[in-house]
Amino acid sequence: MFRSVFSKQMYDERRRLLMWGLATGLVGSLMMFLWPSMRDMPDLDEFLANYPQAMRDLFNIEAITSVAGFLNAELFSFLLPGLFLIFGITRGAALVAGEEETGKLELVLVTSISRVRFALHKVAALTVSIVSLAVTIFLFVWVSGLVVDAGLPTGELAAGMTSVMFLGLEHGLLAMAVGLLTGSKTWATGVASAVAVGGYVLYAAGKFVDAVEPFQVASPIYHALESGPVGGGFRPIFLLMPLVGIVALVIALPRFDRRDIGV
Amino acid sequence: MTVDPTPVSDPATAAIRTHALSKAYGRTLGLDSVDLIVPEGLVFGYLGPNGAGKTTTIRLLMGQLRPSGGSAMVLGLDVASNRERVQAQIGYLPGDFTAYPDLTGLQYLTYLGELRGGVDRAHITGLSERLGLDLTKKVGSLSHGNRQKVGLVQAFMHSPPLLILDEPSSGLDPLVQREFLSMVREARAAGRTVFLSSHILAEVEAVADSVGILRGGRLVIVESVESLREKALRRLELTFERDVPVRALAAVAGVKDIQVDNRSALLVVEGSTAELISVAAPHGVANVRTLEAGLEQIFLSFYGEED
Repeated sequence: MFRSVFSKQMYDERRRLLMWGLATGLVGSLMMFLWPSMRDMPDLDEFLANYPQAMRDLFNIEAITSVAGFLNAELFSFLLPGLFLIFGITRGAALVAGEEETGKLELVLVTSISRVRFALHKVAALTVSIVSLAVTIFLFVWVSGLVVDAGLPTGELAAGMTSVMFLGLEHGLLAMAVGLLTGSKTWATGVASAVAVGGYVLYAAGKFVDAVEPFQVASPIYHALESGPVGGGFRPIFLLMPLVGIVALVIALPRFDRRDIGV
Repeated sequence: MTVDPTPVSDPATAAIRTHALSKAYGRTLGLDSVDLIVPEGLVFGYLGPNGAGKTTTIRLLMGQLRPSGGSAMVLGLDVASNRERVQAQIGYLPGDFTAYPDLTGLQYLTYLGELRGGVDRAHITGLSERLGLDLTKKVGSLSHGNRQKVGLVQAFMHSPPLLILDEPSSGLDPLVQREFLSMVREARAAGRTVFLSSHILAEVEAVADSVGILRGGRLVIVESVESLREKALRRLELTFERDVPVRALAAVAGVKDIQVDNRSALLVVEGSTAELISVAAPHGVANVRTLEAGLEQIFLSFYGEED
């Protein structure tokens, strides 16, 4: 039935992916369906002027009068990055450290498969999960956009989805790398969450505090959201996100190959 | 020490050979300089109370732990430098066997079989039938004993030359336990080596050719089961129709201790109890109760004052 660690993992993820994809996709659709009534609001500018300046900056509310700006404010500045972070971190921590903590790795790792190959199968499964989640949400929002005739360029939506997908992947791979290093789900979740929260604080503070602004560039959230992300096109800086995840793995894998399992 | 790159089947070779094998957990030594040789084709019982270091030894042999000192050779290969090749030749049952609860027994066993490069389905179903395991049920819905059967099937299913089983009969009912012991004997008859750990002497006595006893992380003795049995302290409770003939009993060779309670005597005897019975019989024995010679008593008989 399953011929590899990868296919077994994808079998395990099937229901979770379906639920996450459906729920988040439907929220995306809902936002798209709300867009026409927002667009047609006669006194939208006046309404937005009532928002505090800080919120207008953080959620890019000024741009809400365009469909790209609307999606950024409603989906891409908080909801989708948050969901991709949660999905990436929880699954990244569960796939290796979670199995190790519950003793399930003991027998899988004494088969003919090497530890590094085992870990790479898990990396592939995490990556495919996150990509398929992004594709599902993209399809929901894209089709809904066509239905309400939102006039949203497909490439812009794709760029936005790529950005939040990479954000989830970066933190997911980071959680997995910490799991490979330590065998602890708590550490894996904790370190990756701390990086995510720290990144968000740095990004948000950089918007308001001039002294912090130069350091914003170190924040993964900055890499993901600074361009919009809808409306800013595909940016080379997006590639930093998976790259950081890959570097974390490259550091963790040799240690995983050598360390004690499940102590 | 030279490392032979190919597994050897020479009967004179050891299936397991450790040299000063040690494992430290922080500051405490889980295993302290163990030198162990298990010849090929034998059933070797690895005995010791809980926490003595049995599981640590086994996980070192499996390559799941790295030794903090010494080395382990399994089937002629150094475990540290040939981990995957060693693992491929071992059927392993961990002490705390945990499978994926949402897979059926068959799905789980087939999965592990695939990771081992394919295992004959007929062999899986054959072993499962012997142990009375329903392969269509999800592992998570199985009782502890039935889950243990899944663990046993996966250890035996690829017919490995070496079986390393950590507390294998934990949770098994007596009938299944008997079937398991005959599987072990068949493996030995086929020339395989079986290394099984236990804290229950009876289980090891029933099947092992020789045993090693571990205590506080140190291997205190390696003996054949026969000579161990001879030296073992046994506890016997004799109930008499009249008063207990304390003096006559105490004079019997091998009697180490005697405690009298009313018409009953609790005796600790080393070796055979035959002479004791023949001395006691003329005094009118109403009842004889043999209490299991526990490991602790064997430890005490050899190492009572040491640690």
